[in-house]
Amino acid sequence: MEYAVSTSGLTKVYEGGVKALDSVDLKVEPGKVFALLGPNGAGKTTLMRILTTQIKPTSGEAYVFGLNVVRDGAKVRQFIGYVPQEMSIWTDISGYENLLIYAKIYGIPSSKRDKLIWDVLEDMGLKEFANNLVRTYSGGMIRRLECACALLIKPKILFLDEPTIGLDPSARKAVWERLIAFRKEYDATIFFNTHYMDEADLYADEIAIVNMGRIVASGTPENLKHSLGGEILSLEVENPAYDLKALEILKETDVIIDVIVSGNEMNIVTQDAESSLPKIMEALRASKVLVKRVSITKPTLDDVFLKYAGARLETGAARISEVRQVRSMIRRG
Amino acid sequence: MNGFMRNVLAMIELEMRRIRHDRTELYSRAVQPILWIAVFGPIMGSVRAIPTGGIPYTDYITPGALIQSTTFISIFYGLTIVWERESGILKKLLVAPASRYSIVIGRALASGIRAIFQALIIIPVALLVGVKFMPSIPNFSLALAIIFASSGGFAATSILIASFMKTRERFMGIGQALTMPLFFASNALYPVSMMPEIMQRIARLNPMSYVVDAVRSLMITGNLTSLSVDLTAIILFDVVMFVIASINFRRIIE
Repeated sequence: MEYAVSTSGLTKVYEGGVKALDSVDLKVEPGKVFALLGPNGAGKTTLMRILTTQIKPTSGEAYVFGLNVVRDGAKVRQFIGYVPQEMSIWTDISGYENLLIYAKIYGIPSSKRDKLIWDVLEDMGLKEFANNLVRTYSGGMIRRLECACALLIKPKILFLDEPTIGLDPSARKAVWERLIAFRKEYDATIFFNTHYMDEADLYADEIAIVNMGRIVASGTPENLKHSLGGEILSLEVENPAYDLKALEILKETDVIIDVIVSGNEMNIVTQDAESSLPKIMEALRASKVLVKRVSITKPTLDDVFLKYAGARLETGAARISEVRQVRSMIRRG
Repeated sequence: MNGFMRNVLAMIELEMRRIRHDRTELYSRAVQPILWIAVFGPIMGSVRAIPTGGIPYTDYITPGALIQSTTFISIFYGLTIVWERESGILKKLLVAPASRYSIVIGRALASGIRAIFQALIIIPVALLVGVKFMPSIPNFSLALAIIFASSGGFAATSILIASFMKTRERFMGIGQALTMPLFFASNALYPVSMMPEIMQRIARLNPMSYVVDAVRSLMITGNLTSLSVDLTAIILFDVVMFVIASINFRRIIE
């Protein structure tokens, strides 16, 4: 299969010896929304700048739709869209004029130009502001105009570096709604960098977590969260001196992974808290345990991130000995 | 139309659209050359100390003041590039299918457009002050073309400086250090022959001298004997600066 993005052993050492990327191997399938998640300084921007042919890797190879980004840079530039992290439009001309200049740079024939420009303005919800100076735009509108510039050529792959940095939640949502609609319509691949866990969780099909220039974990958001070892049911019980036989039975049926009891609190680790809760309640009632309160804690990407990038936990699935650590992290997070 | 010309024209169009939205810089930048022509010229001219070849001193320095103004605008054009580097504009341009030659030459010539507008503000003021121009449309057109092309060369120099001095402060420092020597070591205000020997040598290497001489002969004196040398020097300057600035351009985003 031809990958939208594939890298092998990609390493970048800047002048002065800073190792921004350390042997990165990455595969992104076409048509996916892919998130590179990591803290500031993890190497996300460096990776994206190599993929968009701006800088050369020190060693290793990178391909975008089968084309080598160093050798075939000019060809790669023909079909990629890119929105850098910093503001990348001219603020002293109008939104329409920004698109017009880019349409000319991309060589869109004049017969199609006007229609295409108005189409992307419409897609990004900027039609009524098209002739205003960009200086008068809000942060969210500027981001949408930047996306419009990148979408003008209907790119096969769209590279977005921190697409919603500095935007308020509603502006972030608006940007993403437009991007998702574009992706659906044109079946494009979206490759984005972010340090917002919720953004990666909500919009990405696949996530790679990057830390200190290395990919430390990758997979779908669900798989990554499951790799933490499960969800936690916390029960506050009336009479702790109960018989755990019923729970032992449940454990054998794989509903429960593990149980920790401390005083009146009972923590049950399970694959799927919602579906196992009724069975657990039934078993507890049979053992005459009175339950006063139930709460469910699901691992978030935040926990995943702390696990793989924060170096607080050992790698590998969380075992019962780690539940307390996971829980304390969840509380903190 | 090939990609190169298309991109150059897009960059020039960008500049014209910017000027259309905001002309303040054009007007404020015209103040200084107008002072040279309206104040400095008549006062210094009344002394009659400088051999101008028989033309009034104000007429003599008008091309000098004009070229000084357009050259300074171009020398500081790199500031725009530094700003575009700090924002993401340059990254985006370099990821677009446009050669760095077309970006650099396009942006440099865009500065030439600004210079032309500058000239169109200053020349009427000079007329009002009483400067006598050669009444020749071909001469004028060629003079404007020279201003356009030479400003492109100076702007390319500026883009080259911007590739090395990546911050505004450092760029401003170099820009300031460059402009006045360029002006004084040229024939803008006095003939080169009046300078000390060492200065004369510098003036001969100063592209501004050739630009001033060409524009002065076309617009004021009508004596075109040195025009071919001037044109050769300007073309050489442009080509060299365009090539060096383009080769170094990628450095600016690294």
